[in-house]
Amino acid sequence: MDGAVPSAGDPPATGGAPPIFVARALCKSYGSGEAAVHALRDLDLDILQGEFVVLIGPSGSGKSTLLNILGGLDTPSSGRAAWRDHELAGADEAALTAYRREHVGFVFQSYNLIPSLTARENVELVAEIARDPMRAEEALALVGLSHRLGHFPGQLSGGEQQRVAVARAIVKRPDALLCDEPTGALDVETGKLVLSAISRANREVGATTVVITHNAAIAGMADRVLHMGGGRIVAIEANRRRLSPEELVW
Amino acid sequence: MSMLDRKMLRDVLALRGQVLTIALLIGAGVAVLVMSVGTFLSLRGAQQTFYAQSHFAEVFAEVKRAPRTLLPQIAEIPGVAIVEGRVTGEARVDWPGAEVPVAGRIVSLPLAGGQPALNRLRLLVGRLPEPTRHEEAVIHAAFAEARRVRPGEEIAVILNGRRQSFRIVGIAHSPEFVFTSRPGSPLPDDRGYVLLFVNETAVARAFDMQGAFSELVLTLAPGASEPAVIAELDRLLQPWGGRGAHGRRDQPSHRFLEDELAEQRTLAVTVPLIFFGIAAFLLNVVLGRMVEAQREQVAALKALGYPSFPIAAHYAKFVAVVCGLGAALGVAAGAWMGEGMLGNYRPFFRFPEMPYLLPAWLPLLAAAASFAFALLGVLAALRRILRLPAAEGLRPPRPAALGAGALGSVGGRLSARAKIPLRGLLGRPIRTGLTMLGIALAVPMVVLGLFWWDALDSMVALQFDRIERGDAFVALTDPRPARAVREMARLPGVLAVEGQRIVPVRLRAAQRSHLLALSGLPEGATLRVPRDADLRPVQIPREGVALSRRLAERLGVREGDRVQVEVLEGARRSHDLPVVALVEDIIGLTALMEIGALNRLLREDDLISHVALRVDPLAAQALWQLLAERPRVAATSVKAVWLRVFDEVIARMVLTSAVILTGFGIIIAVGVVYNSARVALQERGWEMASLRVLGFTRQEVARLLLGELAVAVLIAVPLGLALAQGFVALILGARNNESFDIPATISPATFATAALVVLGAAAASAIVVRRRIDRLDLVAALKARE
Repeated sequence: MDGAVPSAGDPPATGGAPPIFVARALCKSYGSGEAAVHALRDLDLDILQGEFVVLIGPSGSGKSTLLNILGGLDTPSSGRAAWRDHELAGADEAALTAYRREHVGFVFQSYNLIPSLTARENVELVAEIARDPMRAEEALALVGLSHRLGHFPGQLSGGEQQRVAVARAIVKRPDALLCDEPTGALDVETGKLVLSAISRANREVGATTVVITHNAAIAGMADRVLHMGGGRIVAIEANRRRLSPEELVW
Repeated sequence: MSMLDRKMLRDVLALRGQVLTIALLIGAGVAVLVMSVGTFLSLRGAQQTFYAQSHFAEVFAEVKRAPRTLLPQIAEIPGVAIVEGRVTGEARVDWPGAEVPVAGRIVSLPLAGGQPALNRLRLLVGRLPEPTRHEEAVIHAAFAEARRVRPGEEIAVILNGRRQSFRIVGIAHSPEFVFTSRPGSPLPDDRGYVLLFVNETAVARAFDMQGAFSELVLTLAPGASEPAVIAELDRLLQPWGGRGAHGRRDQPSHRFLEDELAEQRTLAVTVPLIFFGIAAFLLNVVLGRMVEAQREQVAALKALGYPSFPIAAHYAKFVAVVCGLGAALGVAAGAWMGEGMLGNYRPFFRFPEMPYLLPAWLPLLAAAASFAFALLGVLAALRRILRLPAAEGLRPPRPAALGAGALGSVGGRLSARAKIPLRGLLGRPIRTGLTMLGIALAVPMVVLGLFWWDALDSMVALQFDRIERGDAFVALTDPRPARAVREMARLPGVLAVEGQRIVPVRLRAAQRSHLLALSGLPEGATLRVPRDADLRPVQIPREGVALSRRLAERLGVREGDRVQVEVLEGARRSHDLPVVALVEDIIGLTALMEIGALNRLLREDDLISHVALRVDPLAAQALWQLLAERPRVAATSVKAVWLRVFDEVIARMVLTSAVILTGFGIIIAVGVVYNSARVALQERGWEMASLRVLGFTRQEVARLLLGELAVAVLIAVPLGLALAQGFVALILGARNNESFDIPATISPATFATAALVVLGAAAASAIVVRRRIDRLDLVAALKARE
């Protein structure tokens, strides 16, 4: 960055909403001394309310570490990370759990549904611990699975399972929807279905969405695309128009 | 080292919690086997060695007074090898400071001096009496130890009403007094009963037995018929007042020892088999599940082209390491506990040596059996995995039943959180059943340790509160007219008295016979109350004999059948009498008649030979002293002393087994619960970590995972209590001991303790697993499964 690239702290091109995530001089390293691995180095970032951000970059570039810190799964070694008025750096385990519970929805690469619960029940499971959830049926309708409510994960395809996972993530009306390689295990067509579910959730629930991907094609869906490398944001692209998942080509 | 071997060693390290709990489970099974069988073999070995070394007689006969000139004639009986006559008699011992009267028995040593030919003494210290020193005596080790008697000390005894003093010159063991107790008492009272071995001249003089004998012991030639020898012996001794010869089977010390060995054999087989069966079953389940949890690794090895055999061999090695560890722990613990158990027998059985014997085949057998059971479980699980196509195996298992519509309705309107444990249990009914059974089986282990207290309590309550209601029981030197009872009633401190007539008899029914004392009780007796199976007092009809249920079983007769009663005293007549009632007894075997009917049978007047007393506790001490000085009193046994001995001796044995079995119950409970939870965590850690990521707290996630186990435990514990009742009945049913009948009583407190121990062990395991849940790697949950 350092002047050569636009600062991630600059207001994005898509409007004047206030930042919801703020990271300043964020560092994360594992181990110590010569063996230390620096996953994030002095990273600054603002993400706006309702924004759809795609994180892209090679393995080891720090995408997941950044997502984990934003999601309250990990804490930075130094620097500041805040979600609205919640300081995430230095928060304790209980505070981070409460943060995830109230504000964050996660989608994993490997769906991680509970096999003994049906699609509806998997979604209800999260609704039960949320403050103001939508109905499970509603969340599943948003991802286009109204016809599969009573099916167990074992009876669903990978794409359907991932859409249940999206429904499970959005049922609590999260402020942030964080997705780590949500289409990594899926083929193109199925991947598009999942992405459109995520995109719809972003629009209709208003959840600020951050998606990690290796797939450059997905970048077209985003408001902004953050290119990461060596623990830093090396480039930012702002899309003038967000493509719909159907328009993506990869 | 091959890579698979390296993986095996790392698996052992990585799964150390599970490996340790499973090894402990194996160790517990092996330990019980080694302990019980080792104890049995050691007792048996000590018995055989001592009997052989000391030339223990095979046939025994008591006679009123027979001339020594009869001995050569007896030696001529075909089948008799060595025969020896001797003089014995009951003695009262004047032991200063004794709380209750000390009784004893005096046994003669050969006139010529030296060891007898049969039943030789094994001297611990000192020497035998010199042939010419009539005041010298060897004392039996039991009393000597209990009262700290040393050679050089004097002991004063009253023989046949005359006071005589002996100087102790040696302390010895005797094969006929391996178990010593007052006649008729099933427990040793080392402080209150003494055995003295003195020169024959001294005893003969006291009992007016010069040139005569009152007891005969003999050994049989190889191939001789014991019944034939006994019959001939009885014929020869009858004119001299023979009381019926008998084999070793009816020799009191031997009979008690055999009973205990039979009991130990039962326990050495039943309990370890039950326990070992449980351990083997758990081993099978737990290890099978552990392999199941590695199914993706197995499938990956298979996908990489490994043939099945090296994979199976790899897991077999893993099992061998776990079993080897378990067996080593088990053998060490079993041998240690076996030594302890054997130590518990020392106050009962006086052997010169009682080394703990552990034959090499025993631990090898135990280890091999554990290995086989463990391997079966592992190979069954392995086969299931290897049969899958590699690609299928690489995916996490899809619980077969979970797709079924039936399961979808389970839980109904319960919350999704409540449905997870419920469906976890119902989705794999076989596994759930096995887990519950495993936990349930921990309960009987604890109950088997603790119920002895209940059983013994109820045994004492029945025998001493309901049946034997007197405080003391006095044996007279010879039968006296019934007015002796009235004399006794006038002694200070005596609150109530009842005379009894007790005669030695042999009961016969068809081919079976039994030697015992037949007691004549007054009608409406209150100090000894025979009771039926419902514990209602029984009046014994005058026309027949009442037998205890266990004696009737032994003789194979029922109420209404007839038994032959051969009186081994006086005119020695035989009578054919109906069994008119069955009564309960706990200690020894009982045959009862109405006293008048018994005396008529004997064609004697109203005679009594024993007196039961109820005593004012404040005057008891003085009364025992007074009784000790009365010439016609042979011995007084005091209930309070008996109860104290019972508490001391039995309680210690019970405590040992209670501690051991409770410990094993805990091992089982921990083994099953901990391993179930660990495997569940292994299988579902991903799910649980995902839920944590989604905002579930540690406690909520732990509740989901452990909730399933909690339900299993809560169902298993009542099941275990029912199993416990069954096992207790099974073990007591396998006992065959005429010294004691142990009622299958289990108190609510025992049940509650067992339940709490298992619940506690389960809770402790849950806490350990809970700590692992707290450390779940949340970040890894975001990544694809490897």
